[in-house]
Amino acid sequence: MAPQVFPLAQIPVTSHAFNADRSQVAVSLNSNDVTIFHRQGAEWAAGETLAEHDKLITSIDWAPNTNRIVTSAQDRNAYVWNPTVDPTTGQTSWKPTLVLLRINRAATFVRWSPNEDKFAVASGARAIAICSFDPEGDWWVSRLLKKPIRSTVLSLDWHPNNVLLAAGSADMKARVLSAYIKDVDKRPSPTVWGEKLPFNTICAEYASHAGGWVHSVAFSPSGDALAFASHDSSISIAYPQHGPTAVHTIKLSVLPLVTLIWTREDEMIAAGHDCEPFVFRGGEQGWELAGSLDDHKHSGLSGSGAGKGVGSGVSPVGRLNSAAFNTFRNADTRGLSSMPGSPVSPSGGSTLGGSGSGESELFTVHQNTITEVRLYEGQIGAVNKVSTSGVDGKLVVWDVASVAPVSVGGLAGKLGGMRI
Amino acid sequence: MDVNFRKIDIDKYDEDVLLEDELYEADPRDPAQVLNDTRTKVNAVRSALSKGDTVGAITLVLDAAPYGASVEEAKNLNLQTLTSILNSTKASEIPSIVKSLSQDAQDTLMKYLYKGMALPGWGDVSGSVLLGWHEKLTEVAGTGCIVRAMTDRRIV
Repeated sequence: MAPQVFPLAQIPVTSHAFNADRSQVAVSLNSNDVTIFHRQGAEWAAGETLAEHDKLITSIDWAPNTNRIVTSAQDRNAYVWNPTVDPTTGQTSWKPTLVLLRINRAATFVRWSPNEDKFAVASGARAIAICSFDPEGDWWVSRLLKKPIRSTVLSLDWHPNNVLLAAGSADMKARVLSAYIKDVDKRPSPTVWGEKLPFNTICAEYASHAGGWVHSVAFSPSGDALAFASHDSSISIAYPQHGPTAVHTIKLSVLPLVTLIWTREDEMIAAGHDCEPFVFRGGEQGWELAGSLDDHKHSGLSGSGAGKGVGSGVSPVGRLNSAAFNTFRNADTRGLSSMPGSPVSPSGGSTLGGSGSGESELFTVHQNTITEVRLYEGQIGAVNKVSTSGVDGKLVVWDVASVAPVSVGGLAGKLGGMRI
Repeated sequence: MDVNFRKIDIDKYDEDVLLEDELYEADPRDPAQVLNDTRTKVNAVRSALSKGDTVGAITLVLDAAPYGASVEEAKNLNLQTLTSILNSTKASEIPSIVKSLSQDAQDTLMKYLYKGMALPGWGDVSGSVLLGWHEKLTEVAGTGCIVRAMTDRRIV
Protein backbone atom coordinates (compact mmCIF):
# COMPACT_ATOMS: atom_id res chain seq x y z
CA MET A 1 0.00 0.00 0.00
CA ALA A 2 1.24 3.40 -0.88
CA PRO A 3 2.16 5.62 2.04
CA GLN A 4 -0.23 8.34 3.18
CA VAL A 5 1.47 11.71 2.86
CA PHE A 6 0.31 14.75 4.81
CA PRO A 7 2.15 18.01 4.11
CA LEU A 8 1.64 19.78 7.45
CA ALA A 9 3.70 22.87 6.77
CA GLN A 10 6.55 24.33 4.77
CA ILE A 11 8.58 24.28 7.97
CA PRO A 12 10.66 21.43 9.41
CA VAL A 13 8.79 19.14 11.81
CA THR A 14 11.16 18.67 14.74
CA SER A 15 9.09 16.12 16.55
CA HIS A 16 5.65 14.54 16.41
CA ALA A 17 3.50 12.51 18.80
CA PHE A 18 0.04 11.05 18.22
CA ASN A 19 -2.67 10.63 20.83
CA ALA A 20 -4.04 7.18 21.66
CA ASP A 21 -6.70 6.94 18.93
CA ARG A 22 -4.55 8.81 16.36
CA SER A 23 -7.20 11.52 15.91
CA GLN A 24 -4.78 14.22 16.99
CA VAL A 25 -1.07 14.77 16.54
CA ALA A 26 1.15 17.17 18.46
CA VAL A 27 3.97 18.58 16.37
CA SER A 28 6.66 21.13 16.84
CA LEU A 29 7.25 23.14 13.68
CA ASN A 30 10.80 24.20 14.49
CA SER A 31 9.50 26.80 16.93
CA ASN A 32 8.86 27.49 20.62
CA ASP A 33 5.29 26.22 20.37
CA VAL A 34 3.58 22.88 20.01
CA THR A 35 0.69 22.76 17.56
CA ILE A 36 -1.99 20.11 17.88
CA PHE A 37 -3.44 19.03 14.54
CA HIS A 38 -6.87 17.37 14.37
CA ARG A 39 -7.77 14.74 11.83
CA GLN A 40 -10.53 15.92 9.52
CA GLY A 41 -11.22 13.27 6.91
CA ALA A 42 -8.08 12.91 4.87
CA GLU A 43 -6.58 16.15 6.14
CA TRP A 44 -5.04 17.51 9.30
CA ALA A 45 -6.24 20.89 10.58
CA ALA A 46 -4.23 23.00 12.99
CA GLY A 47 -5.87 23.34 16.40
CA GLU A 48 -4.62 24.35 19.83
CA THR A 49 -1.21 25.88 20.35
CA LEU A 50 0.74 25.00 23.46
CA ALA A 51 2.85 28.08 24.14
CA GLU A 52 4.98 28.22 27.25
CA HIS A 53 8.54 27.37 26.24
CA ASP A 54 10.72 30.31 25.27
CA LYS A 55 13.29 28.41 23.21
CA LEU A 56 13.01 25.78 20.48
CA ILE A 57 11.11 22.65 21.39
CA THR A 58 13.25 19.56 20.96
CA SER A 59 10.93 16.68 21.71
CA ILE A 60 7.28 15.81 22.43
CA ASP A 61 5.71 12.69 23.88
CA TRP A 62 2.01 11.95 24.32
CA ALA A 63 1.08 9.34 26.93
CA PRO A 64 -1.63 7.14 25.38
CA ASN A 65 -3.43 6.07 28.58
CA THR A 66 -3.15 9.07 30.87
CA ASN A 67 -3.57 11.47 27.90
CA ARG A 68 -0.86 13.86 29.03
CA ILE A 69 1.72 15.56 26.85
CA VAL A 70 5.27 16.22 27.93
CA THR A 71 7.55 18.61 26.05
CA SER A 72 11.23 19.45 26.34
CA ALA A 73 13.01 22.48 24.92
CA GLN A 74 16.28 24.31 24.61
CA ASP A 75 15.14 26.64 27.40
CA ARG A 76 16.25 23.83 29.82
CA ASN A 77 12.67 23.17 30.85
CA ALA A 78 10.10 20.46 30.48
CA TYR A 79 6.35 20.94 30.80
CA VAL A 80 3.65 18.39 31.46
CA TRP A 81 0.39 19.39 29.76
CA ASN A 82 -2.94 18.22 31.17
CA PRO A 83 -6.12 18.52 29.12
CA THR A 84 -9.08 20.30 30.72
CA VAL A 85 -12.45 20.38 29.03
CA ASP A 86 -14.45 23.56 29.43
CA PRO A 87 -17.92 22.34 30.60
CA THR A 88 -19.83 25.14 28.83
CA THR A 89 -18.16 25.16 25.42
CA GLY A 90 -16.80 21.60 25.35
CA GLN A 91 -13.45 22.96 24.17
CA THR A 92 -10.24 21.31 25.32
CA SER A 93 -7.48 23.46 26.66
CA TRP A 94 -4.07 22.30 27.79
CA LYS A 95 -2.73 23.40 31.16
CA PRO A 96 1.05 23.37 31.56
CA THR A 97 2.94 22.32 34.68
CA LEU A 98 6.57 23.28 34.88
CA VAL A 99 8.96 20.47 35.83
CA LEU A 100 12.04 21.40 37.85
CA LEU A 101 14.74 19.58 35.92
CA ARG A 102 17.78 21.17 37.58
CA ILE A 103 19.86 21.05 34.40
CA ASN A 104 21.94 23.93 33.06
CA ARG A 105 21.86 23.03 29.36
CA ALA A 106 19.18 22.39 26.76
CA ALA A 107 16.75 19.52 27.27
CA THR A 108 17.09 17.42 24.12
CA PHE A 109 14.71 14.48 24.31
CA VAL A 110 11.78 13.32 26.40
CA ARG A 111 9.87 10.04 26.77
CA TRP A 112 7.14 8.73 29.09
CA SER A 113 7.91 5.43 30.76
CA PRO A 114 5.68 2.47 29.70
CA ASN A 115 3.54 2.82 32.87
CA GLU A 116 3.33 6.59 32.30
CA ASP A 117 4.18 7.31 35.95
CA LYS A 118 7.67 8.62 35.15
CA PHE A 119 9.36 10.34 32.27
CA ALA A 120 12.98 10.82 31.31
CA VAL A 121 14.47 14.03 29.92
CA ALA A 122 17.82 13.92 28.13
CA SER A 123 19.98 17.01 28.18
CA GLY A 124 23.15 18.71 27.07
CA ALA A 125 24.25 18.91 30.70
CA ARG A 126 25.67 15.34 30.53
CA ALA A 127 22.69 14.19 32.51
CA ILE A 128 19.30 12.55 32.22
CA ALA A 129 16.52 13.77 34.50
CA ILE A 130 14.16 11.05 35.69
CA CYS A 131 10.94 12.74 36.74
CA SER A 132 8.19 11.29 38.89
CA PHE A 133 5.08 12.87 40.41
CA ASP A 134 5.12 13.80 44.07
CA PRO A 135 1.46 13.92 45.19
CA GLU A 136 2.28 15.67 48.48
CA GLY A 137 4.02 18.60 46.85
CA ASP A 138 1.70 18.32 43.81
CA TRP A 139 4.63 18.63 41.41
CA TRP A 140 7.03 16.63 39.29
CA VAL A 141 10.38 16.04 40.94
CA SER A 142 13.49 15.01 39.06
CA ARG A 143 16.49 12.89 39.94
CA LEU A 144 19.56 13.11 37.74
CA LEU A 145 21.42 10.23 36.12
CA LYS A 146 24.91 11.63 35.64
CA LYS A 147 27.80 9.22 35.70
CA PRO A 148 29.34 8.09 33.40
CA ILE A 149 27.81 10.28 30.69
CA ARG A 150 30.49 12.46 29.11
CA SER A 151 28.52 14.51 26.62
CA THR A 152 25.07 15.54 25.43
CA VAL A 153 22.45 12.81 25.57
CA LEU A 154 20.61 12.70 22.24
CA SER A 155 18.03 9.97 22.66
CA LEU A 156 16.34 7.71 25.19
CA ASP A 157 14.23 4.59 25.23
CA TRP A 158 12.46 2.87 28.12
CA HIS A 159 12.70 -0.86 28.75
CA PRO A 160 9.25 -2.51 28.98
CA ASN A 161 9.86 -3.12 32.73
CA ASN A 162 9.53 0.64 33.42
CA VAL A 163 12.92 0.68 35.22
CA LEU A 164 15.74 0.40 32.69
CA LEU A 165 16.54 3.24 30.36
CA ALA A 166 18.71 3.27 27.24
CA ALA A 167 20.54 6.47 26.35
CA GLY A 168 22.42 7.42 23.20
CA SER A 169 24.98 10.14 23.64
CA ALA A 170 27.37 12.40 21.74
CA ASP A 171 30.30 10.77 23.53
CA MET A 172 29.87 7.94 20.96
CA LYS A 173 28.28 5.56 23.47
CA ALA A 174 24.95 3.87 23.93
CA ARG A 175 24.25 2.95 27.53
CA VAL A 176 21.68 1.07 29.53
CA LEU A 177 21.06 2.59 32.97
CA SER A 178 18.71 1.95 35.81
CA ALA A 179 16.12 4.64 36.47
CA TYR A 180 14.61 2.87 39.47
CA ILE A 181 12.62 5.21 41.75
CA LYS A 182 11.80 3.69 45.10
CA ASP A 183 8.41 5.33 45.62
CA VAL A 184 7.16 4.61 42.12
CA ASP A 185 8.57 1.28 41.02
CA LYS A 186 8.12 -2.18 42.40
CA ARG A 187 11.29 -4.22 42.68
CA PRO A 188 12.01 -5.24 39.08
CA SER A 189 12.50 -8.90 38.33
CA PRO A 190 15.94 -9.81 36.96
CA THR A 191 16.51 -9.23 33.25
CA VAL A 192 19.33 -9.97 30.85
CA TRP A 193 20.66 -6.52 31.77
CA GLY A 194 21.19 -7.36 35.45
CA GLU A 195 19.58 -8.47 38.68
CA LYS A 196 20.04 -5.74 41.25
CA LEU A 197 19.14 -2.41 39.79
CA PRO A 198 19.45 0.54 42.18
CA PHE A 199 19.22 4.04 40.64
CA ASN A 200 22.08 4.92 38.27
CA THR A 201 23.37 1.33 37.87
CA ILE A 202 25.23 1.07 34.55
CA CYS A 203 24.02 -2.17 33.02
CA ALA A 204 25.77 -1.94 29.67
CA GLU A 205 27.85 0.40 27.58
CA TYR A 206 28.44 0.06 23.85
CA ALA A 207 30.68 2.22 21.68
CA SER A 208 29.61 3.12 18.18
CA HIS A 209 31.58 1.41 15.45
CA ALA A 210 33.55 4.26 13.92
CA GLY A 211 33.12 7.02 16.44
CA GLY A 212 29.80 8.54 15.48
CA TRP A 213 27.62 10.14 18.11
CA VAL A 214 24.64 7.94 18.88
CA HIS A 215 21.47 9.47 17.41
CA SER A 216 18.91 6.91 18.42
CA VAL A 217 18.48 3.97 20.76
CA ALA A 218 15.68 1.44 21.13
CA PHE A 219 15.02 -1.69 23.13
CA SER A 220 13.55 -4.63 21.25
CA PRO A 221 9.89 -5.42 22.11
CA SER A 222 11.01 -8.04 24.65
CA GLY A 223 13.62 -5.66 26.07
CA ASP A 224 16.34 -8.28 25.66
CA ALA A 225 18.17 -6.55 22.81
CA LEU A 226 19.22 -2.98 22.16
CA ALA A 227 19.60 -1.27 18.80
CA PHE A 228 21.35 2.01 18.22
CA ALA A 229 22.05 4.13 15.16
CA SER A 230 25.04 6.41 15.05
CA HIS A 231 26.48 9.14 12.89
CA ASP A 232 29.09 6.87 11.31
CA SER A 233 26.25 5.52 9.11
CA SER A 234 26.02 2.35 11.09
CA ILE A 235 23.33 0.57 13.02
CA SER A 236 24.22 -1.86 15.81
CA ILE A 237 22.20 -4.46 17.65
CA ALA A 238 23.44 -5.75 21.01
CA TYR A 239 22.44 -9.01 22.69
CA PRO A 240 23.63 -8.77 26.32
CA GLN A 241 22.86 -12.38 27.22
CA HIS A 242 25.70 -13.40 24.88
CA GLY A 243 28.23 -11.15 26.59
CA PRO A 244 29.30 -7.53 26.23
CA THR A 245 30.83 -8.07 22.79
CA ALA A 246 27.78 -9.67 21.19
CA VAL A 247 27.03 -6.72 18.94
CA HIS A 248 26.03 -6.92 15.28
CA THR A 249 26.97 -3.84 13.30
CA ILE A 250 25.71 -3.02 9.84
CA LYS A 251 27.73 -0.40 8.03
CA LEU A 252 25.58 1.38 5.50
CA SER A 253 26.55 2.91 2.20
CA VAL A 254 24.04 5.72 2.71
CA LEU A 255 23.92 8.78 4.94
CA PRO A 256 23.49 8.34 8.72
CA LEU A 257 20.25 7.23 10.34
CA VAL A 258 18.87 9.36 13.15
CA THR A 259 15.75 7.56 14.34
CA LEU A 260 14.69 3.93 14.68
CA ILE A 261 11.85 1.76 15.91
CA TRP A 262 11.42 -2.00 16.38
CA THR A 263 8.35 -3.31 14.58
CA ARG A 264 8.82 -6.94 15.67
CA GLU A 265 11.42 -8.84 17.64
CA ASP A 266 13.18 -9.58 14.33
CA GLU A 267 12.53 -6.39 12.38
CA MET A 268 13.12 -2.67 12.71
CA ILE A 269 12.74 0.49 10.72
CA ALA A 270 15.30 3.26 10.74
CA ALA A 271 15.40 6.55 8.90
CA GLY A 272 17.47 9.69 8.77
CA HIS A 273 19.51 11.85 6.46
CA ASP A 274 18.84 9.64 3.46
CA CYS A 275 15.16 10.64 3.54
CA GLU A 276 13.67 7.16 3.38
CA PRO A 277 12.79 4.56 6.04
CA PHE A 278 14.97 1.47 5.73
CA VAL A 279 13.88 -1.95 6.98
CA PHE A 280 16.32 -4.21 8.80
CA ARG A 281 15.69 -7.86 9.63
CA GLY A 282 17.61 -10.38 11.64
CA GLY A 283 18.07 -11.94 15.03
CA GLU A 284 20.73 -13.15 17.39
CA GLN A 285 22.68 -14.67 14.49
CA GLY A 286 22.97 -11.41 12.60
CA TRP A 287 21.15 -8.58 10.92
CA GLU A 288 20.86 -7.25 7.40
CA LEU A 289 19.25 -4.47 5.42
CA ALA A 290 16.05 -5.95 4.02
CA GLY A 291 14.73 -3.05 2.01
CA SER A 292 13.02 0.30 2.16
CA LEU A 293 9.42 1.32 2.84
CA ASP A 294 9.84 3.96 0.16
CA ASP A 295 9.17 2.34 -3.18
CA HIS A 296 10.46 4.95 -5.61
CA LYS A 297 8.18 3.65 -8.35
CA HIS A 298 5.12 4.47 -6.26
CA SER A 299 6.26 7.86 -5.11
CA GLY A 300 5.19 9.38 -8.42
CA LEU A 301 8.40 11.28 -8.67
CA SER A 302 10.57 8.90 -10.63
CA GLY A 303 10.46 10.60 -13.98
CA SER A 304 10.73 9.12 -17.42
CA GLY A 305 14.38 9.59 -18.21
CA ALA A 306 16.23 8.85 -15.04
CA GLY A 307 13.48 6.57 -13.74
CA LYS A 308 14.90 3.26 -14.87
CA GLY A 309 18.28 3.69 -13.37
CA VAL A 310 17.01 5.32 -10.25
CA GLY A 311 13.96 3.23 -9.41
CA SER A 312 16.03 0.64 -7.64
CA GLY A 313 18.57 3.09 -6.36
CA VAL A 314 19.46 4.26 -2.92
CA SER A 315 22.35 6.36 -4.06
CA PRO A 316 21.87 9.95 -3.07
CA VAL A 317 23.93 10.80 -6.10
CA GLY A 318 21.81 8.83 -8.51
CA ARG A 319 18.51 9.62 -6.86
CA LEU A 320 18.93 13.34 -6.76
CA ASN A 321 17.08 14.90 -9.62
CA SER A 322 17.94 18.46 -9.16
CA ALA A 323 16.93 21.31 -11.40
CA ALA A 324 20.12 23.10 -10.50
CA PHE A 325 22.10 20.01 -11.48
CA ASN A 326 20.30 19.85 -14.82
CA THR A 327 20.89 23.52 -15.43
CA PHE A 328 24.61 23.17 -14.96
CA ARG A 329 24.81 19.98 -16.98
CA ASN A 330 22.91 21.53 -19.86
CA ALA A 331 25.17 24.51 -19.73
CA ASP A 332 28.15 22.21 -19.77
CA THR A 333 27.18 19.68 -22.43
CA ARG A 334 24.98 21.71 -24.75
CA GLY A 335 25.93 25.27 -24.10
CA LEU A 336 22.39 26.02 -22.88
CA SER A 337 22.03 28.47 -20.09
CA SER A 338 18.54 28.14 -18.68
CA MET A 339 18.16 29.98 -15.45
CA PRO A 340 16.38 28.22 -12.61
CA GLY A 341 12.73 29.23 -12.67
CA SER A 342 12.59 29.79 -16.41
CA PRO A 343 10.74 27.22 -18.54
CA VAL A 344 12.67 24.00 -18.18
CA SER A 345 13.93 22.26 -21.28
CA PRO A 346 11.80 19.26 -22.38
CA SER A 347 14.29 16.72 -21.13
CA GLY A 348 14.68 18.40 -17.80
CA GLY A 349 10.98 19.12 -17.39
CA SER A 350 9.79 15.59 -17.94
CA THR A 351 11.82 14.30 -15.03
CA LEU A 352 10.15 16.52 -12.51
CA GLY A 353 6.87 14.59 -12.55
CA GLY A 354 4.57 15.21 -9.57
CA SER A 355 4.60 18.79 -8.51
CA GLY A 356 6.15 20.18 -11.65
CA SER A 357 7.88 22.94 -9.75
CA GLY A 358 11.32 23.88 -10.90
CA GLU A 359 12.93 22.97 -7.59
CA SER A 360 15.21 20.14 -6.66
CA GLU A 361 13.30 16.97 -6.09
CA LEU A 362 14.31 13.66 -4.63
CA PHE A 363 12.86 10.35 -5.73
CA THR A 364 11.77 9.66 -2.15
CA VAL A 365 8.51 10.63 -0.45
CA HIS A 366 10.28 12.75 2.12
CA GLN A 367 12.19 15.55 0.48
CA ASN A 368 14.56 16.08 3.38
CA THR A 369 15.92 14.41 6.50
CA ILE A 370 13.45 12.29 8.48
CA THR A 371 13.48 13.55 12.07
CA GLU A 372 11.41 10.95 13.85
CA VAL A 373 9.79 7.58 13.25
CA ARG A 374 7.01 6.41 15.59
CA LEU A 375 4.50 3.65 16.08
CA TYR A 376 1.24 4.49 14.30
CA GLU A 377 -0.83 1.31 14.18
CA GLY A 378 -0.51 -1.97 16.03
CA GLN A 379 1.21 -2.56 19.33
CA ILE A 380 4.76 -2.93 20.55
CA GLY A 381 6.10 -6.12 18.99
CA ALA A 382 3.44 -6.25 16.29
CA VAL A 383 3.52 -2.92 14.51
CA ASN A 384 1.46 -2.56 11.33
CA LYS A 385 2.09 1.06 10.48
CA VAL A 386 4.67 3.67 11.41
CA SER A 387 4.65 7.44 11.00
CA THR A 388 7.57 9.65 10.07
CA SER A 389 8.07 13.39 10.23
CA GLY A 390 10.66 15.25 8.25
CA VAL A 391 12.54 18.49 7.78
CA ASP A 392 10.40 18.91 4.64
CA GLY A 393 7.34 19.55 6.84
CA LYS A 394 5.66 16.28 5.88
CA LEU A 395 4.02 13.66 8.06
CA VAL A 396 3.89 10.26 6.38
CA VAL A 397 2.18 7.05 7.46
CA TRP A 398 3.81 3.89 6.10
CA ASP A 399 2.56 0.32 5.90
CA VAL A 400 5.27 -1.82 7.49
CA ALA A 401 4.43 -4.81 5.29
CA SER A 402 5.17 -3.16 1.95
CA VAL A 403 8.93 -3.41 1.72
CA ALA A 404 10.63 -2.49 -1.53
CA PRO A 405 14.00 -4.06 -2.24
CA VAL A 406 17.12 -1.95 -2.30
CA SER A 407 20.55 -2.94 -3.46
CA VAL A 408 22.99 -1.09 -1.34
CA GLY A 409 26.54 -1.19 -2.54
CA GLY A 410 25.88 -1.60 -6.22
CA LEU A 411 26.04 2.10 -6.74
CA ALA A 412 27.93 1.99 -9.99
CA GLY A 413 24.87 0.96 -11.99
CA LYS A 414 22.79 3.75 -10.57
CA LEU A 415 25.30 6.37 -11.45
CA GLY A 416 25.24 4.98 -14.97
CA GLY A 417 21.48 5.48 -14.99
CA MET A 418 21.91 9.17 -14.31
CA ARG A 419 22.21 9.86 -18.01
CA ILE A 420 19.04 11.51 -19.18
CA MET B 1 34.58 45.89 22.64
CA ASP B 2 37.12 43.63 24.23
CA VAL B 3 36.73 40.16 22.80
CA ASN B 4 39.93 38.69 24.16
CA PHE B 5 37.99 36.68 26.71
CA ARG B 6 36.90 34.48 23.80
CA LYS B 7 40.46 33.24 23.48
CA ILE B 8 40.61 31.94 27.04
CA ASP B 9 40.84 28.18 27.14
CA ILE B 10 37.87 27.53 29.39
CA ASP B 11 38.42 23.78 29.28
CA LYS B 12 41.44 24.35 31.52
CA TYR B 13 39.09 25.29 34.34
CA ASP B 14 36.76 22.35 33.80
CA GLU B 15 37.63 19.44 36.04
CA ASP B 16 35.50 17.06 34.04
CA VAL B 17 36.70 18.04 30.57
CA LEU B 18 36.29 15.46 27.81
CA LEU B 19 39.66 14.84 26.18
CA GLU B 20 40.22 13.86 22.57
CA ASP B 21 41.86 10.54 23.45
CA GLU B 22 38.86 9.48 25.53
CA LEU B 23 36.74 9.42 22.42
CA TYR B 24 38.41 6.43 20.77
CA GLU B 25 40.07 3.24 21.81
CA ALA B 26 43.83 3.59 21.59
CA ASP B 27 45.93 1.09 19.66
CA PRO B 28 46.90 -1.65 22.16
CA ARG B 29 50.38 -1.94 20.56
CA ASP B 30 53.08 0.44 21.77
CA PRO B 31 54.47 2.96 19.25
CA ALA B 32 57.77 1.12 18.63
CA GLN B 33 55.86 -2.07 17.93
CA VAL B 34 53.56 -0.23 15.51
CA LEU B 35 56.56 1.13 13.59
CA ASN B 36 58.12 -2.32 13.46
CA ASP B 37 54.91 -3.90 12.21
CA THR B 38 54.57 -1.25 9.54
CA ARG B 39 58.17 -1.79 8.36
CA THR B 40 57.68 -5.55 8.04
CA LYS B 41 54.48 -4.84 6.16
CA VAL B 42 56.32 -2.69 3.61
CA ASN B 43 58.41 -5.70 2.58
CA ALA B 44 55.39 -7.95 2.33
CA VAL B 45 53.66 -5.32 0.20
CA ARG B 46 56.69 -5.09 -2.13
CA SER B 47 56.74 -8.82 -2.70
CA ALA B 48 52.98 -8.85 -3.34
CA LEU B 49 53.38 -6.01 -5.84
CA SER B 50 56.21 -7.78 -7.63
CA LYS B 51 53.87 -10.72 -8.14
CA GLY B 52 51.32 -8.29 -9.59
CA ASP B 53 48.91 -8.86 -6.67
CA THR B 54 47.64 -5.29 -6.20
CA VAL B 55 44.58 -6.33 -4.19
CA GLY B 56 46.74 -8.31 -1.79
CA ALA B 57 49.15 -5.40 -1.44
CA ILE B 58 46.40 -2.87 -0.71
CA THR B 59 44.73 -5.20 1.77
CA LEU B 60 48.04 -5.57 3.59
CA VAL B 61 48.60 -1.81 3.79
CA LEU B 62 45.09 -1.12 5.02
CA ASP B 63 45.07 -3.91 7.58
CA ALA B 64 45.98 -2.71 11.09
CA ALA B 65 46.87 0.73 9.79
CA PRO B 66 48.61 2.86 12.44
CA TYR B 67 46.37 5.48 14.05
CA GLY B 68 46.31 7.85 16.98
CA ALA B 69 48.97 10.03 18.51
CA SER B 70 52.74 9.36 18.81
CA VAL B 71 53.03 7.06 15.79
CA GLU B 72 53.71 9.78 13.19
CA GLU B 73 56.63 7.91 11.61
CA ALA B 74 54.62 4.73 11.12
CA LYS B 75 51.70 6.74 9.74
CA ASN B 76 53.92 8.46 7.17
CA LEU B 77 55.52 5.19 6.15
CA ASN B 78 52.15 3.55 5.66
CA LEU B 79 50.86 6.50 3.64
CA GLN B 80 53.95 6.41 1.47
CA THR B 81 53.52 2.70 0.82
CA LEU B 82 49.88 3.18 -0.04
CA THR B 83 50.43 6.15 -2.36
CA SER B 84 53.06 4.20 -4.27
CA ILE B 85 50.42 1.53 -4.93
CA LEU B 86 47.75 4.08 -5.77
CA ASN B 87 50.06 5.83 -8.22
CA SER B 88 51.13 2.65 -9.98
CA THR B 89 47.64 1.22 -10.47
CA LYS B 90 46.02 1.58 -13.88
CA ALA B 91 42.78 3.59 -13.79
CA SER B 92 40.88 0.77 -15.49
CA GLU B 93 41.76 -1.64 -12.69
CA ILE B 94 40.59 0.58 -9.84
CA PRO B 95 36.88 -0.45 -9.80
CA SER B 96 37.59 -4.17 -9.52
CA ILE B 97 40.23 -3.60 -6.83
CA VAL B 98 37.93 -1.40 -4.76
CA LYS B 99 35.10 -3.93 -5.05
CA SER B 100 37.22 -6.78 -3.76
CA LEU B 101 38.24 -4.93 -0.58
CA SER B 102 36.47 -5.65 2.69
CA GLN B 103 34.20 -2.95 4.12
CA ASP B 104 36.73 -2.09 6.83
CA ALA B 105 39.49 -1.79 4.25
CA GLN B 106 37.28 0.47 2.13
CA ASP B 107 36.73 2.76 5.12
CA THR B 108 40.44 2.89 5.85
CA LEU B 109 41.24 3.57 2.20
CA MET B 110 38.81 6.50 2.26
CA LYS B 111 40.58 7.91 5.32
CA TYR B 112 43.93 7.75 3.47
CA LEU B 113 42.44 9.42 0.39
CA TYR B 114 41.25 12.34 2.50
CA LYS B 115 44.56 12.46 4.32
CA GLY B 116 46.35 12.56 0.97
CA MET B 117 44.14 15.40 -0.24
CA ALA B 118 44.95 17.33 2.93
CA LEU B 119 48.68 17.10 2.20
CA PRO B 120 49.20 18.92 -1.09
CA GLY B 121 52.72 18.59 -2.39
CA TRP B 122 53.60 15.93 0.16
CA GLY B 123 55.80 13.22 -1.34
CA ASP B 124 54.42 12.04 -4.63
CA VAL B 125 50.75 12.45 -3.76
CA SER B 126 48.89 13.57 -6.84
CA GLY B 127 45.46 15.13 -6.59
CA SER B 128 44.11 13.65 -9.80
CA VAL B 129 45.08 10.12 -8.77
CA LEU B 130 43.42 10.53 -5.38
CA LEU B 131 40.26 11.96 -6.94
CA GLY B 132 40.13 9.06 -9.38
CA TRP B 133 40.27 6.57 -6.52
CA HIS B 134 37.79 8.61 -4.50
CA GLU B 135 35.25 8.53 -7.33
CA LYS B 136 35.48 4.77 -7.79
CA LEU B 137 35.45 4.09 -4.06
CA THR B 138 32.36 6.26 -3.53
CA GLU B 139 30.56 4.41 -6.33
CA VAL B 140 31.16 1.12 -4.55
CA ALA B 141 31.03 2.03 -0.86
CA GLY B 142 28.61 4.96 -0.99
CA THR B 143 28.38 8.16 0.99
CA GLY B 144 28.30 6.13 4.20
CA CYS B 145 31.98 5.37 3.68
CA ILE B 146 32.77 9.11 3.44
CA VAL B 147 30.75 9.80 6.59
CA ARG B 148 32.74 7.15 8.47
CA ALA B 149 36.03 8.63 7.27
CA MET B 150 34.90 11.95 8.72
CA THR B 151 33.50 10.75 12.04
CA ASP B 152 36.16 8.20 12.95
CA ARG B 153 38.60 9.59 15.48
CA ARG B 154 41.09 6.80 14.89
CA ILE B 155 42.90 9.11 12.50
CA VAL B 156 45.40 7.42 10.19
